Order: sequence, then structure tokens, then C-alpha cells
Amino acid sequence: MSIEIANLIVNAGLVYAGLGLVFGLAFVWKGAGRLDPDAARGTWGFRLLILPGSAALWPLLLLRWVRSSGPPQETSPHRSPV
Amino acid sequence: MGHAYQAVGWNRQKKIYDRTLLLGVVLYLAVFLGVGFALHPEATAETMILRALGTAAFMLLHVVLAIGPLSRLDSRFLPLLYNRRHMGVTMFLLAFGHGAFSLLQFHGFGDVGPLVSLLVSNPRFDSLAQFPFQLLGALALFLLFLMAATSHDFWLTNLTAPVWKALHMLVYLAYGLIVMHVVLGVLQAETSPLLAGLLVLGMIVVLGLHLAAGWRERALDEPLDQLAREGFVDVGAFEEIPEACARVVTLGGDRVAVFRYGDRVSALSNACQHQNGPLGEGRIIDGFVTCPWHGYQYKPDCGASPEPFTERVPTFETRIVDGRVWVSPVAQAPGTYVEPARHPGRAR
Repeated sequence: MSIEIANLIVNAGLVYAGLGLVFGLAFVWKGAGRLDPDAARGTWGFRLLILPGSAALWPLLLLRWVRSSGPPQETSPHRSPV
Repeated sequence: MGHAYQAVGWNRQKKIYDRTLLLGVVLYLAVFLGVGFALHPEATAETMILRALGTAAFMLLHVVLAIGPLSRLDSRFLPLLYNRRHMGVTMFLLAFGHGAFSLLQFHGFGDVGPLVSLLVSNPRFDSLAQFPFQLLGALALFLLFLMAATSHDFWLTNLTAPVWKALHMLVYLAYGLIVMHVVLGVLQAETSPLLAGLLVLGMIVVLGLHLAAGWRERALDEPLDQLAREGFVDVGAFEEIPEACARVVTLGGDRVAVFRYGDRVSALSNACQHQNGPLGEGRIIDGFVTCPWHGYQYKPDCGASPEPFTERVPTFETRIVDGRVWVSPVAQAPGTYVEPARHPGRAR
């Protein structure tokens, strides 16, 4: 792998992580509670714990936040029976 | 569970679990460093710490992987399963320490940044003897990070149990990458047959336990639907189900837990709403079906958790005819009350 490609990969990863961190801070402060009512009353320890995951999965969470959709509903014979 | 999230829902068991875990890790690191420096006085502190953290993480990963099948084979291992996620996060932190030390020691002082150096310093992908094994470890560490970062129940709810489970099944890919990381890295420098033997032994234990547990589970998946009579399925004799326990059967392609308590029988979905834990491997405690994994509870006749919790599982109609238990394979909506079948010969 050339240095140019390696730089590109590393910089892309850092930009993704940086954006994720900024988004994550906003998400744990306000967004999580919008998606999941149980998170709105969550402790600050809980918010700190979900920060790394929020930063890592920020595109998915951003989409849900923009759509203001609640937690997804699992569908299986044991979750939504006939 | 229908209440505000906390960082950790501490209770006595979790505190004992975490104290024991922490003590075990600290003891291991201390013994490794002590013995390591005694045997290799020429080794630098950075090298020894790096190895101590790496081996601790690798050994803990074996324990994490073994707990699941061990619990299915013998219920005495269930207490280990109870707080496995803390063990997993601890394992990630040890692995992260190993990775950070490695990055600093081997890539931290060059002309290019450490991450760029990690990617370009060894291009020998065509050579087994000089393969860039550090990249395998880095990839495994990334997967372990994803799992550790999503270990809270918030993620279970907001990713859904199947997606969350699928994400956490990546632990097997991470394990494979770490095994290759060790084989292509450490074992090239350390030719001791003891290390190679321990690695193979670890793989045999992990693989063997999973195969044994899978073999046992297979019996539960034998379809009984062909026995259907008047819409009900014969799932066995009342007497065969131990008191306050369940028999798990597969109806319509999904597992159903048939509980016996006193002279009554009730049937529920076998999948706990928390992490799809096996309710049928739990017991009825204080009148509630209790999941063996994390203690989530459901009323046996309606499948609803006690207030203030809101979890509900589907229920199934039951009959007892001539001492045999019959269950309808049609699931009722989660939380639907179904009159328990009563064994006339056992009426109190």
C-alpha cells in the first residue's frame, strides 16, 4: 500500500471519528432521549457509556434522529405473533 | 426494561462478579510481569507490559467464548454468564492497552504517523513468515471496540435483538483474526512448543464446547408438528416436566417453553424479550418465569413482566389429556392471558 493511499484511509477514518465525536456529544445530550423515552431520563453515567457507540454508529443514529423515529420494532414469531 | 437507563444496574452479584474479575486480571498481570522479568531480565518494560496485556486479553477472550456453551451444558456455569458483558468490556480494554502500547512502541517514532506506519511499514502480504500480522490484530481490535461500545441495553433496544446479536457474533471473526495474529506474529519469534500447544488447546476447548452445546441443542429443534391433533401438539408427559421448570419444544419452527408449576401447565415463547435468552432453561421463582441469563421475569399465565416493567412474551394454549401435555402451536399476542391447563390427578 502506498503512503498516499494509507494517508487517505487514515484521514478518512479520523474525519469519520471526529464527526462522530461531535455528533455523539449532541446525541447523548438530546438525541438519545428523542429516539428512546427511557434514555431521556437516563443518568449521565449512561450517557457517557453510550458515547463511543454513538460516535461509531453516527450515520445510522443521525438518520433516525432526523426522521424522529422511535426504537425499531423487532419482527419475529416471538415478537409479533399472528 | 421500561425504566430510565443507568450506566450499570448494580446489585450484589454484579459487584462480586466485577471484584473477582478485576482481582483475577490484576493477579494475572502481576504474575506475568514478575515471572517474565525473572525469566527474561533483558526484556524492556514496554515489551513485557505489551505481552502481559495481550496474553491477558487473549485468555479472557477464551473465557468469554466458553461461558455461553458451558452454561448450556451445565447450569452451574450460569452465574458466569450473568455479567459476561463486563468481562467482554474488560477484555477489550486489555486488548486496547496491548494495541496502544504496540502502536507506540513499533510505529510511534517514525517519519509518518503511527496509523499510516501501521498500514505501510510491512507490505509482505505474500509471505507467511513475514506477514503483517499487526494489521490482523488491529482489525480484531476494531471489531472488539464495536462490541464493547454497544454492550449497553440501550443498543439492544435501539438496534433490535437480532441485529445486536449479529453484531456481537463478530466476536468469532475477531477470535479468528487474533488466532492468526498470534500464529503469524508471536509464534514466529517464540518457537516454544508450550505456547503453540496452549494455543491449540485453547482452540480445541472453544470449538469443542460449541460443538457439544450445538449437539445438545439439536434435539430441541426436532419438529413435533406432525403429531398435531385437533390443532394441538403432544409435547410429552406431565410427569416428565420437573416442578417449576420447563420442557422446551419446537412448534411452527420456533421454540416454546412449557412450564409446570403445581398442578398447572403454561406455555410461553422461549425467547426472553431482553436478549432472546432461553426462558425454558430458567425456573419459576416467586411465581414468575425467570430468565436464566439476566433474571427478567414473566407471569407464566400471561407472559407479562411484573409492574413497573413492560416486557411481554407470546403465550400458547395448553391442555392435559390422560397425563400428557398438549400445546397449541398458534402464538397468542404477547401478554395475552391463557388459562393454565390443570392436571386433575394433581389438584390441591
